[in-house]
This record gives sequence, structure tokens and C-alpha cells, in this order.
Amino acid sequence: MEFGWTQEEAAHRERVRAVLARVLPPDWEDIARHGPGSDEQTAFSKIFCPALHAEGLLIPHWPKPYGGQDESIWRQFIMAEELWAVGEPRGPQYMNVNWVGPVMFKFGTQAQLETYLPPILAGQAVWCQGFSEPSAGSDLAALRTAATPVEGGYRVNGGKIWTSYAAQADTCFLLARVPAAEGVSSGKAAIVILLVDMKSPGIQVKPIPALVGQGDIHEVFFDDVFVPAENRLGAEGQAWEIINYLLQHERVGIPRYALARRTLDRAVARLKSQGRWDDPVLRDRAGQALMLCEAARMMCYRVVDGKARDLPDDAFGSLARVAVVEAENGVSAFLTEFMPDGLLGGDPMQQAHHQRAIAAGVAAGPAEIQLNLIAQRWLNLPREPRAR
Amino acid sequence: MNHGLTEDQASILAGLDQLLGSRAPAAPTHPVTFIHDAALDGAIAEAGFLDIAREPGFGALDAALIVERLARLPCALEAAASAIVAPALDIAAGLRPIALATDPAAAVRHLPMARALLYPRGEAAVLIEIDPARVTPVETLFAYPYGRLDGLEGLAERVVGEAATLRRRWRIALAVEAAGCMAAGVAAVVEHITTRHAFGRPLGSFQAIQHRLARAAETTEATKWLAFRAAWTDSEADAAIAAGFAQQRIAELTYDLQQFSGAMGLTLEFPLHLWTYRLRALAGELGGATVQSRAAAAAAWGD
Repeated sequence: MEFGWTQEEAAHRERVRAVLARVLPPDWEDIARHGPGSDEQTAFSKIFCPALHAEGLLIPHWPKPYGGQDESIWRQFIMAEELWAVGEPRGPQYMNVNWVGPVMFKFGTQAQLETYLPPILAGQAVWCQGFSEPSAGSDLAALRTAATPVEGGYRVNGGKIWTSYAAQADTCFLLARVPAAEGVSSGKAAIVILLVDMKSPGIQVKPIPALVGQGDIHEVFFDDVFVPAENRLGAEGQAWEIINYLLQHERVGIPRYALARRTLDRAVARLKSQGRWDDPVLRDRAGQALMLCEAARMMCYRVVDGKARDLPDDAFGSLARVAVVEAENGVSAFLTEFMPDGLLGGDPMQQAHHQRAIAAGVAAGPAEIQLNLIAQRWLNLPREPRAR
Repeated sequence: MNHGLTEDQASILAGLDQLLGSRAPAAPTHPVTFIHDAALDGAIAEAGFLDIAREPGFGALDAALIVERLARLPCALEAAASAIVAPALDIAAGLRPIALATDPAAAVRHLPMARALLYPRGEAAVLIEIDPARVTPVETLFAYPYGRLDGLEGLAERVVGEAATLRRRWRIALAVEAAGCMAAGVAAVVEHITTRHAFGRPLGSFQAIQHRLARAAETTEATKWLAFRAAWTDSEADAAIAAGFAQQRIAELTYDLQQFSGAMGLTLEFPLHLWTYRLRALAGELGGATVQSRAAAAAAWGD
């Protein structure tokens, strides 16, 4: 057991920082404050991701046959920490390299790999996740968007909500329900994953004004949208297996505490410049926020370590998610109480962090679902009886 | 970065488990506020487990792994000061048990059984050897033996290092011990709420309980990994963060563990207090969470 970085890992972190210092423009903070789904950040991601690829830093963790270098998960995570700490300049494209690509490697056809990987490698692909519906959020298996088999493919009808990046997306990773086959449950087994061209006739995207920033969440309507059969990912009935594989990547994919810690560091520098750092109460509260950030860091490191050592999934990801949510909200609460001017135009990055923090307990599965998973899979407590 | 045990660490812990398997005390069947097991204490010390950090190639993290495991026992062994604090100071192996104090005149944990009292005086860490006849036991709910020295007259103070080193290692020791107590306390409550039924189903199936206990599990794991990191880095910031995080969470965690044990948890017959009341004792050490929090802020960001 040890908690240090190898020389090579430390050098990797320094290199990522050097690349960011060189590639990010002077007005990066002005771009980042709009949020990862904004027009500004999406447009910049199409400049930044090719630059990152040119430096060999876009997909080094991918397998060599797909253009990567089989880089260790620790190197991948070090880079993720550095990128998230500056506000994630990959914008919506972070998920392309985190899970869209890896899911394609495992479940995609050769034709799908040839269609979807080149735009990702070029840093020009924007995806959205067609998961949640008005009546199916945490209870994803209750989704109702219908994919009716027709000659050559499916006709999709229904609607998705809370869809990030939808207005900018080229492709939607859509979950829909096919008619239950005879003898097959109508639940999870009837879900299918379709890779939908967002320019298809019948798709309407409606932005939802939100506290979390412009462009981040949308409603997407599917009105008799034709999706070719070759755009189905995996087999009918295999969707739940693919989703679980995907969520495993999503749950450790974002080291949110890195931006929380960076925002806290920056806030302390401002407090010092304002002559307020002598206040012992303020120092106590800053220290508490710091503890939450570091607790989240260590919990996420434990998850990454499990993957690096190929240990079986043990629900620790849920423990780490809870710690991350606490860190995000701990820092946000400290700043809101002691530096409210940051939300009044005083520090655009404080507002950017705040907007990310308030989504931390909701995005990628609510914190309360994580608590359920901890209770059942970590503590082995009996399940709560389901409502009839 | 590797959270797995080395072969040496796994071997040491297996040896410790073997010793505990043959000698560890069961939870008491008669009401006690704390358990002191002198025979087990002696056996662990004699086997060298508390001197691991003094061995070439080993260090505070190896000691922390042992202390965390021992803290899960229902008895209040003095291991943390001997194994984690003393090796960083000029204190000979074998001079133990060691009681740690911020004020030598106060009631001090482990003092009735201690052979040495260690405390900061100005910038120095000083040690005095204890004559047990001069210690008066103090009755307390805290599940440790507590005692008060009748004064420092006639006792020779010996400077054994810097006060900063003492405080840093004490913080690490506190966090490690808290992690072990938390783990054992959570396990005891999980067993209780899994076997006890209300309204026709196990208490542990109620989501209101599950969520709070899940958070207790998160607290336990975060405390453990922060503590182990602090033991490995031996840095001021990591030590203060680990101790402060543990102390900050103890009130909520112990409240929930007691609450889910119901009236049983209020009795001395049920062993939960042997961990929760050690945790509550640790919550107030070194000035409590606020002092650690400010120390963490100072270490991270300066003045």
C-alpha cells in the first residue's frame, strides 16, 4: 500500500498542466463560465480536442487497435483531474473518450466503429444521452419511448428530458422500448439502444432554461423518427448490460472534487487579498471544505485503484459518489456564505463551479440511489420491499 | 498509488489476526463502561506488532494498518501512541503504554495503565515516566480508562522531540483509531438491524435507516483512507485533514449508530458503546475538529 505518484506519473501531470497552459486561450475562463453544454464551450471543444489529440492526450487510454496507447487508468485519471480542475475544456466531448468509445469497442459493429470513431478522434463529435423521460428518471427501466420495428429498422416515438448537449449533438445514444416479445418481460429486457442521427426528420429539441447554465438540459421529442437497424447497438435485450458497463465508466469518469478544490484554493487567495484570512471562523469553515474535497479524492482514488488492480466491482463507486457530492456542496456552501459576491459577478468561475455543484447529486444517478446501493451492496442490508 | 497490501503487510495482518483469533476478548456479558485486557495488551506488544514502524523498511503506515485492526476490538488497547507516535520521537521501544495529553493536569486517556505520559510543552514534546500510585482513576462514560496525575512534582520531564511532531503523529493516530472504531460500530449496528424486526420486516430494510447507515459507511471509509494516506505521507496537512474529518463526523455517526440500536444501545449490556464512546472521547482530543480544521487550512494555504 502506498499513496505516492511515480516519477513518470508526476511528469505526466506536469506535462498535462504545461499543455493546458499553452493551449487554453487567455479568455478561457470567460468561455468556461457558460458551462460545458453552452455554444461557447462546445465550439471551443472542437478546437481544444484536436489540439489535445495532437499532443497524444485525447485517447491515450484507449486500446492500441483503436488508436490509443493502452495507457494506465491512473494516467487517464491524472489527466481527468487536471482537465476538470480547469473547467473541462473538452466540454461535451469528455464523454466520447470516457465511455462512448469504450462502449463501441465492446459492443459496436465494425460499421459502427468506422462511422463513429473518426469524428471522435477528430475532436468534432458531440453526443447526447437519451436516457431520462418525464416518467423515467432514476427508475430508468420505466422508460416509455417506443421503438417499433419496421422494415429496415425502427420507428421511434416519444420524448426525452434533461438531455444534456442535445442542441449541439450529432448523435443521440437513445434508450427506447421495443414491443415485448412473447414470453419476454416488458421491463429491462425490452429496452434497445439506438444511435440516432440528430438530423433525422421528426426530431425536435427544446432547450430548458436552467440554473445549471445555458445549453445544458433539453427536452427532445421523437415523432415517427426512422432509425436504421444497423444503428442499433448490441442486440435487443442486451441494453441493460451495455448501460451497466457504461455507468461503470461514467461513475468514476468525472473527478468533480478537482474543480471544487481548485475553486477553494482560488477563494482563499481572494480572501487573503481582501484581508479576511485572519478570521478563525472563516479558516475553520475553509478547512472543513478542504477536508471534504480530500475525502472525495481519496475515495475516488480507491475506485480507480480497484480498476487498476482489476478487482471485482464492490459498490465502492457509490461510496465515492456520495463523497464527491458532499465535497461539491461543501465548497459551494462555504463560498455562498462567505463570498456571495462571487455569485454577483465577482468571480465567474465561482458561479461556474456553483452551477456544476448543484448538479452533482443529480447527474449520472441521484445520490439517494447511491445510498440505496451502498446499503444493499456494501452493507448487505435487506432491500426495502417494493411498492405494489 | 496502490491501495493493496504488500506481501509483508498482508503477512503481518494475518499474524495479528491469528493472535487475536486465539486471544481476543468477546464482548462482555456484564455491564462495563470499558474493557481493559492486560494479557492481550502484553501479548500484542511482546509479539512486536507495536514496534513495526521502528523496523527497517517499515513505517507509520504499517503501524496504522495494525492500529486500525486493533481499534475494532471491543477492548481499549493502547496501541496508537506506542505504534504511531512514539517511533517518531526519542522514546525507547517497550516504554509503554503511553498516555497522550495536551494538559498533563487534566484527566487523560489510558493514564491509569500508562508507564509514560507524553505532552507538548512550548515547542517541545516532553515525556515523564509514571508512577501508577500517583494516578487517580476517573469515572467516565468514555470507553477508555481515564486517570488524573496528582501533579508533576518530583517527576523528571524529558524532551523527546518537537511538539509539532507529537501533534502530527497524534492526529494520524487519532484518525486511524477512529476509523477502526467506526468500522466496528457500523458492523455491530448492521448485525442488529438485520436481525431485529419491526412491522414485519428487518429494521435494516427501512430506507430511512439505510440512507443514514450508508452515510456512516462513507464516513468510515473516507476516514480510513485519509488516515492511511496521512500515515504514509506523514505531512502536516494530511494529518490535520484526516483527524479533523474524523472528528467532524463523529457526532453524526455515533448519534445514528446509537439511534438505530434503540433502547438496547443505551444499555451497557449491548457492546455498541465500547466503540461509540471511544469515538466520542476521540472527538474532543487535540482541541476538537475546529482546531484540526484550522490547522489543515494553515498547512494547505499558509497564513
